[in-house]
Amino acid sequence: MAASTGSAGRAWNRSHAFALGLAPALVVLAAITLGPAIYLVVTSLTPLNLVDPKSALDFSHPLGNYRDALTDSRFLNSVWVQAKLSVATVVLQLAAGLAVALLLNAHSRVLEAIRTAFLIPMVLPPIVVAVIWKVIYTPDVSPLHRALAAIGLPLGSLITNAGTAIWAIVVAETWEWFPFTMLMTLAALQMIPNDPLEAAAIDGANRWQLFRYIVLPYVRPTLVVCGLFRLIDSIKAFPLIYVLTNGGPGTATEVTNYYGFVQAFNFSYWGYGSAIATMMVAGVFLLSLLVGRLDRGVGNRD
Amino acid sequence: MEKPVDRKAEASVEDAVQQCGDDVVSPARRRFLASGAAAGGTTLVSGFPFIARARAADKPLSGTTLNVSCWSAPYPKYLADYIPEFEQATGAKVNYETPSFPIYNQRIDVELSTKGTAYDVLNITFIYAGRWIGAGWFEPLDGYMNDPKKTPADWIPNDFLGGTTASMKDKNGRLYGIPWIADVIMSGAARADLIHKAGKRMPETFDEVGTVMKAVHNQDGIPGFIIDNHYGWTWIPWLQGFGGNVFRDPPGDLMPTLDTPEAIAAADFFANLLTSYGPNGVISYTYDQVVAALKQGRANWSPNNETFLVQMGAADSKVASTCDFALFPAGPKGRFPAVSTHAWGIPVGSKNKDAAWEFIKWAMSKEMVGRMVREKGYTSITRRSLIEQADFKQKLMINGRDVAKIYLDTVELGASGYMKYRTVPVYPQVDKEIDIAIQNVASKQMSAKEAMQKAQANAVTQLRRSGIKL
Repeated sequence: MAASTGSAGRAWNRSHAFALGLAPALVVLAAITLGPAIYLVVTSLTPLNLVDPKSALDFSHPLGNYRDALTDSRFLNSVWVQAKLSVATVVLQLAAGLAVALLLNAHSRVLEAIRTAFLIPMVLPPIVVAVIWKVIYTPDVSPLHRALAAIGLPLGSLITNAGTAIWAIVVAETWEWFPFTMLMTLAALQMIPNDPLEAAAIDGANRWQLFRYIVLPYVRPTLVVCGLFRLIDSIKAFPLIYVLTNGGPGTATEVTNYYGFVQAFNFSYWGYGSAIATMMVAGVFLLSLLVGRLDRGVGNRD
Repeated sequence: MEKPVDRKAEASVEDAVQQCGDDVVSPARRRFLASGAAAGGTTLVSGFPFIARARAADKPLSGTTLNVSCWSAPYPKYLADYIPEFEQATGAKVNYETPSFPIYNQRIDVELSTKGTAYDVLNITFIYAGRWIGAGWFEPLDGYMNDPKKTPADWIPNDFLGGTTASMKDKNGRLYGIPWIADVIMSGAARADLIHKAGKRMPETFDEVGTVMKAVHNQDGIPGFIIDNHYGWTWIPWLQGFGGNVFRDPPGDLMPTLDTPEAIAAADFFANLLTSYGPNGVISYTYDQVVAALKQGRANWSPNNETFLVQMGAADSKVASTCDFALFPAGPKGRFPAVSTHAWGIPVGSKNKDAAWEFIKWAMSKEMVGRMVREKGYTSITRRSLIEQADFKQKLMINGRDVAKIYLDTVELGASGYMKYRTVPVYPQVDKEIDIAIQNVASKQMSAKEAMQKAQANAVTQLRRSGIKL
């Protein structure tokens, strides 16, 4: 009895020691993540306008900003633009990442060097990527436009045409981030055992069948996780849009976070901007939950 | 170019001489000592503590750090070259930054709203003047200007053009900013030779703009028209020329009037200039791209800021010998060239207000602005006495055209009050809606009528969100 009491006491002490040890880290984490998030939500319940600081304490219509958002055509358009941009960039990044990973999945010094070169866009500061593409998309200085004009195929500006502006951003975003999928997929490809591939080859499977029935099932979980990570990240797309199009022409490339930025930083409507940000956080949170569940699902199957 | 004076060295030696009790130092000896100190002043001062003490006493701002910010434009860039002189003369340390226009405005809007202490001297941006001054975020400057101890009479406070100081005053007439620029819109042609070759003159009216553009577009492979994509600034003179306005009766009645027949006609006319005569991708052009295109002769005619256009006459311009200038053309209802100003002010949160005033006083002194004109070629000045000087007029005589006269005439036109739309606190919101509307028309996403009706609806929504009763 005494022994069991002693053992329980030690367990209690140990768990308290862990809790005490964790406490400083948890406090810091709460201060730098939860604190601002709570402030964001609280602000979203006010009509805070920087010109009128007292509005920070006006909670008379706590859901007013959210109601406004549901009838704000620019906000609704921004969500639609965001959805188009996210789906297109994720699909293209997965396709390009997988294709390049398949091409580079061999042991050779040359391929290793190429692999490293492909990683460059991902490690460049986003604003540098944006400036590179600004040059490419500006007709009077663009090597792309000049080359096409030289062979008799003059091209109209891609970023000022409402039909192509969003695709111009999709291409730039894909160029920047497909190396992430490439890297992850390459790691997955290198984990595939040789036995099933050799057995299938002996049974007469062609290259497509090897890919379809053996390689793809092996890398699918990685692709799913990559896709979801990129989907979450695509919602944060900002530098490319800010530098290349400013959300234009008109509102053709105005995504939700850019619209929230305009409301908060150009118009000083911090309450409304916070409501937009809160809705985005909620969306990203739901996507994160989805990532977690899929990740667990993949782990269970393994 | 005038060589900067090493005031630090001069002051140190003079102080040292006085500390030694030598009251009868001849001017020649002083000069000799000064030049000696210029060579070895640092060693001398660090070796003799009494000299350092004396220098500190002579430099009223020793130990003071001034944080100064302004958006990136020619004047603040030129000023950066002279700031070491201010530091040497006063002992102050100046942290100086010039971010781009939108970054500056966003950063400072937030900073001012907190009444923070981060900055001591800030630019008061024209479109934010109503908001920033109205909210009480800047210090009135009358007390500094009217105090002879703080501002000597020869600084000439009333020398600044009335058209430039009007927007920097509150309703009680108190002044909050010393204007460093009169940004006026006029018209400039990079290749006026092509216009003359076509048998035309610099367009004087909107109708003539149409005929001149038809005549010169793509001559020598050069687009006829170019303008930067800040349409909330560059389109308004066209709107007003057609008889429209941004608000019904600013600043009292701020109901937007963007969907009137005049506004729709102006949007249609302007978008046609962009799409028919502009370069490929013209709606993505920022002002620096426009200046580069004009100076390199890659576009011809532009109704734009004087600051930008006169750069066509600079030595590094390929069109220096072919450029020409004129007043902004008149529309059916008159001539309304945009006039704006930006000014140095002191944020209320500054802990160094007196030192900040010293900086502004120095930066906007007749001597300093005059040096910028002579040494840097700066021409968008606000001091009447300098504008009327013969050498300034001579400097702005470009290919036989008196640009100084165009400049002054435009500033005087602006003083009539049609720019009131721009300094109301909610203009930034409407400014953005106008940008979007013109882009929608020029990119053929909407007709002028649809785009302007949408802009009107969105502007009303934005203004109501700010709490304005419409």
